[in-house]
Amino acid sequence: MADHQASGEQSLLVVEDLRTHFATADGLVKAVDGVSLSIRHGETLGVVGESGCGKSITALSIMRLIERPGRIVSGSITLAGRNLLDVSDAEMRDVRGDSISMIFQEPMTSLNPVYTCGDQIEEAIAVHRDVSRREARDRAVEMLAQVGIPDAKRRSGEYPHQLSGGMRQRVMIAMALSTNPELLIADEPTTALDVTIQAQILELMKALRERNRMAIMLITHDLGVIAEMADDVVVMYAGKVVEASDVMNVFERPHHPYTKGLLASIPRLGEKRERLEVIKGVVPNPLNLPSGCLFKRRCPSRMPICDVAPPFQEIAPGHVSRCWLTPAGEPPEVGMAPAEDVAIEAAEALSVAS
Amino acid sequence: MDHTELLPLTTDAAGERRAAAEIDEVDLTPVRTYWQLVRRRFLQHRLATIALFLMAILVTAAVVIPLATGDAFGRTDLTLINHPPSLIAPLGYDNIGINIFIRLMAALQTSLMVGFMAVTIIVVVGVSVGAIAGYVGGVVDNLLMRLVDVVLSVPSFFLIVMLVAFFQTGNMWVVVIAIGVTGWTTAARLVRGEFLALREADFVQAARALGVGHRRIILNHMLPAALAPVIVAGTLGIADSVVVEATLSFLGFGIQPPNASLGNMLTHAQDYVFRNPILIYYPGVLLVLVVLAASFLGDGLRDALDPRQRLEA
Repeated sequence: MADHQASGEQSLLVVEDLRTHFATADGLVKAVDGVSLSIRHGETLGVVGESGCGKSITALSIMRLIERPGRIVSGSITLAGRNLLDVSDAEMRDVRGDSISMIFQEPMTSLNPVYTCGDQIEEAIAVHRDVSRREARDRAVEMLAQVGIPDAKRRSGEYPHQLSGGMRQRVMIAMALSTNPELLIADEPTTALDVTIQAQILELMKALRERNRMAIMLITHDLGVIAEMADDVVVMYAGKVVEASDVMNVFERPHHPYTKGLLASIPRLGEKRERLEVIKGVVPNPLNLPSGCLFKRRCPSRMPICDVAPPFQEIAPGHVSRCWLTPAGEPPEVGMAPAEDVAIEAAEALSVAS
Repeated sequence: MDHTELLPLTTDAAGERRAAAEIDEVDLTPVRTYWQLVRRRFLQHRLATIALFLMAILVTAAVVIPLATGDAFGRTDLTLINHPPSLIAPLGYDNIGINIFIRLMAALQTSLMVGFMAVTIIVVVGVSVGAIAGYVGGVVDNLLMRLVDVVLSVPSFFLIVMLVAFFQTGNMWVVVIAIGVTGWTTAARLVRGEFLALREADFVQAARALGVGHRRIILNHMLPAALAPVIVAGTLGIADSVVVEATLSFLGFGIQPPNASLGNMLTHAQDYVFRNPILIYYPGVLLVLVVLAASFLGDGLRDALDPRQRLEA
């Protein structure tokens, strides 16, 4: 993380100030509101947060798969120097499944029930590569073997309903990786699987990451998965990034009270405690967000200044947090001018580069 | 990274496969193809199997017998009026000396042809409209569905009568097209509903995330999953179309004598209902058989084709 600032140019994907809003009948929902993040080649970025905090919408925005009434309002998504928000729909289709692949939460329903697994991997290849049917088929069987499916040739002729959940997720991964993408977006890839299968799938993703030298954007609410997999972590809350750093900082020196709350709500072995800590309250209604800090209603360290939206401050090199607390975790000195919007913007602009 | 070529894979896959085999319990069910599964499921549906058998007999008879007997369905022989059944006339002759069985088969041919052709139009138009409306959504969906409402708001039978009377009474194709253009609305609504649901389906989302194009998503991913209700609607549509054609012909707007249809045979039989009532039963029973066979066939196909329903081995 020492080269955090300097590595901007080597970044594979840079998302800047992304805003995705949904015009619902009840009002405008700002599902993603000014998210910035970046992923370097071969890096794994964990995106954490409760349900409804905008993780999946961020991922779908990067794929440009947002449908009515949703719309990407502003921002930029730069993949290897090209802004994906500027390319045509047809060009975007070439990017999807080729440079960026995505795997979804529900392996049970993400495969088309009427085609064999082999057919579906073949399609993924044929859409992007000018290969013969036979080559595509051979490649599909290779991919199935690569994701650890025994008797791959035979399995490629089977329908999804003949496979277990873990097997299906392996097939999804095989499909996503069949074109050697530079970036894999995994949206809660293990949430629907039971724990032993989860561990296998994570091991598999690690192995494939090394082999294919690809970057992974791993979306999850499971901090255990993050600890296992991620290099860097972005913590999201109510459509905004509240804390971003490398995985060690987030786990060892969390700054934002929300991150601390998330970490405190993991049960730990060997700790004698009557009740598990929880973050009180729920994610605010996106139609009725509080003014100032979005987390203030649930925050244990709430201060008067929290009625003003906190800046994104760099509390340590490569570690940013959207909270008024000082880097040491103390309340800020009274008199620190909250109205200095210019300073806040400057701070946010700085964080974008990270 | 160069994307024009597939990167070679490392070759230690065998070792990994072994490792994975130890992890995942290996329960290799015998591999069956989709159509093998469909056939199994269909054959478990006894009524549908009988209906298929019946439909096969009806279609074969309707194709073969008129072909073999040529114009015999309209030939009258005054020496054979009301002649009792014999080997070449299993149902005897009617009161103008026509071989009833041969005429019945010609009528069946007409009716089945009208039924199948009309359903072809219904399915093609209905699926296209419904798929586009459901996939595109928004204004397009709204316009197409209001068009469906307009077509539905017109009493279809009178529209058919009007179309047939306006163009060319007695022409089979006019009857087919008239039934087709008034009948596609149900199929369109069904397919639209399926597509609206399927558009949100995970596997469609996954296909989109793979960069699959619109046409391919509609034709290869959504249509097969939306097909089950269309097949049911289609087979029921055959039954409906046959009945509509018979009704039209019965009223004198459809197929005209000397051409035979189940409807105009009923009209003819009606004139002799007191003297020779059995004449009503031949086309009547045949009509019922066609309708029942089509209905049960649709039922069985729906159960068999539904890919979400897993066969208990």
